[in-house]
Amino acid sequence: MAVKIQQLFPGLAYMPGETMVHRMHPLPKLLLLIVFSICVFAFSRISAALLLFLLLLLGYACSGLGPGFFVRKLRVILIFGLMMLLVQVISVRQGHLLLELVLLDTVQLQVWTAGLAAGLLMMFRFVNIIASSYLFVSTTDPNKLVYALMQAGLPYRYGFMIITSLRFIPIFNREMAIIRNAQMAKGIDMEGISLPKVLRMTKYLLIPLVICALNKVDYLAISMESRAFGLHPGRTYLFEQIATRKEWGFLALSTGLLLLGGMLLMGLGYPF
Amino acid sequence: MSQAAVSVKGLTFTYQGNLVPAISDINLQVEPGELICITGSSGCGKSTLALCLAGFIPHHVAGEMQGSVTINGMDTRSYSPAKLAGRIGLVQQDPEAQLCTLRVVDEVAFGPENLGLDRAEIRERVDWALRMVNSGHLLNREVYSLSGGEKQRIAIASVLAMQPSLIILDEPTANLDPVGAAEVLRVIKKVDQDTSVIVIEHRLKRLLPVADRLVMMEQGRIAAQGEPEEVYRQYSQRQYLFPVQRSPDISGEKSASSVLSARQESDKTRTVLKVRGLGIKLGDKRVLDDISFDLYSGDIAAVMGGNGSGKTSLLLSLLGINKIDQGSIMYHESSLKQEKVSQRARNMGMVFQNPNHQIFENTVWKEAVLPSLMLLGETAWDEAYISRLLLEFDLLPYRQSLPFSLSLGEKKRLTLVSVLGYQPEILLLDEPLIGQDNRRADIFWRSVEQHRQKGGITIMVCHDPDFVQEFCNRILFFDQGKLLLDKPVEEGFLSLEELGFIYYLPGEQLDLQEG
Repeated sequence: MAVKIQQLFPGLAYMPGETMVHRMHPLPKLLLLIVFSICVFAFSRISAALLLFLLLLLGYACSGLGPGFFVRKLRVILIFGLMMLLVQVISVRQGHLLLELVLLDTVQLQVWTAGLAAGLLMMFRFVNIIASSYLFVSTTDPNKLVYALMQAGLPYRYGFMIITSLRFIPIFNREMAIIRNAQMAKGIDMEGISLPKVLRMTKYLLIPLVICALNKVDYLAISMESRAFGLHPGRTYLFEQIATRKEWGFLALSTGLLLLGGMLLMGLGYPF
Repeated sequence: MSQAAVSVKGLTFTYQGNLVPAISDINLQVEPGELICITGSSGCGKSTLALCLAGFIPHHVAGEMQGSVTINGMDTRSYSPAKLAGRIGLVQQDPEAQLCTLRVVDEVAFGPENLGLDRAEIRERVDWALRMVNSGHLLNREVYSLSGGEKQRIAIASVLAMQPSLIILDEPTANLDPVGAAEVLRVIKKVDQDTSVIVIEHRLKRLLPVADRLVMMEQGRIAAQGEPEEVYRQYSQRQYLFPVQRSPDISGEKSASSVLSARQESDKTRTVLKVRGLGIKLGDKRVLDDISFDLYSGDIAAVMGGNGSGKTSLLLSLLGINKIDQGSIMYHESSLKQEKVSQRARNMGMVFQNPNHQIFENTVWKEAVLPSLMLLGETAWDEAYISRLLLEFDLLPYRQSLPFSLSLGEKKRLTLVSVLGYQPEILLLDEPLIGQDNRRADIFWRSVEQHRQKGGITIMVCHDPDFVQEFCNRILFFDQGKLLLDKPVEEGFLSLEELGFIYYLPGEQLDLQEG
């Protein structure tokens, strides 16, 4: 059975909270995520990757999610990262030989410095990118983020495209479950796998799903336009989403420290 | 003399690709502060008229329009719906699909924000609109967490915040339970004090006492309009296909002695379905708890209760779609535990609430025969019987049409025909009367009665107590996942009255004053 996206990223959703990380304005937080991600790729040292990973753990601690959340929610990602490490360790044979093992008298396993370094770097980069995005999503109200982006200049038509998508994803999930139930009620057998059966099931799922989606879109378009959506090139907002000077200052300071720290580590004489 | 809020003159509209106009020669004038109710059989052109009034026709719907619609002196041909937005508001049937943001406050502020109003005025309008619909306490709620009635009230508030001179509500209570419907009607009455209101409705009983005028449409034309009670009498007499002995009184659907009445005793010696201690959990939530009842041959049981009380979950559990975690279901003394859904479906035909979820084929005929083919096989299904059903349900002319091009009421009838076609012993019907006018409701009841006479059982989720009183012999009333009462109809209604569930009683003229 295909692995569902929710299984790869369990609980990937906003988790309301009142910590400093939660309260931070979404825009500087998003920019900080971008800076962090650039650093992940710009500084190709294990020490830099490890430092970024430790900073990330600090972020998780400050957001009240804690390392427990990190391990629980990102288990699959951590396992995948370890597998990447293993593949690099096994396949790259450069540098100095660190370790040699013979398994079951037949399989010879050699660990070389270059393989280990490449594996660790790849693993940390992968985990850093996913875990930082996870932290951002878990601590940022998507509604506030989109409203902030619109007030920062994102055309409001695109902004509401995102908001209506967020609004309708759970509705469509529910519709899909109902359609599956209706298929069963009509005797359309869902059990057993054969190509004709799969094709028929797909047809019987897609037709009502698309029709329901189109119906909802019709309703939504009428509802939005009858409330003057698109009447003017711009619009006003009830809630002002403006980042404070402190928040911009924090972004500037963090960016400076990240870049400075990274460059310092890159300039050091040792290879890691 | 003050200007009319709406003036419709000689309005005719034909949808692209159709030869027959959906509405013809409509002349209608709505005065400021007037509350008009528009009714008529399904497919008679009510919703098309609503789209014309809101300006979506001719701007967004392809077809040919003749005549004129003027809103506060503005001709809708010259103004797009967005430009008419501050003058006219449209509330649609589906409360779920018309809300476009994630929070109540954003939803109500959405329109004023689009108008470019300043922050202080938006705030003022949001507070006022929410007060008008008695929903100030919902201000910071997430939209998904609201009940159906709350969603519809927020939809009305979001339109009110635009401060239009006319609000059109297209079947605003169709998807709501009696409590939600009463909440919405109470709001309509309150709104009417300041704004012209047009309500398109099938369920008239509770609306008529507050309406200033009733407009009756038939085949795209206004057949009658005037004083609500008088027009309703004419409407009732025209509507029923089998008008014998019905009393077309204002309490309407409550006719005591129709020949269609199914209030016959069931055969208590023949237990068909025995449910014991049934419990269902969906995720962490227990949706049904310790449900026990027996159903006998010839029973027509109404399943009543508020939205989310477990009614649909019960039907899905009987069919095996919801897996039970407590108790048992016996069908003719055999446990259904090991039977797959497709095996149970042979004996239990289910019609879902929204027919769009249950239509899979590309012609009406193929759709009508689909479950018969699936459940009886290529050779055993009865072509003549299904054709007769299509004829009875006014669907035969659409035999080769695309099912999704039918109206909601027609689709609902089609899903029922497709289930009746293979003659299951138990009918599981979830809100079968949505979108059905009285005439079509009669056709429906006749089929259910014929099914009963053959010894079949009908278990039906229904929000209309008058229909329940007239046609059902049992009430299963659910409250928060528990079976609150299981009684014969008359006793059941008495108990509901004692328990304070007044919105579920037949013939009640509800007090629509605030409260």
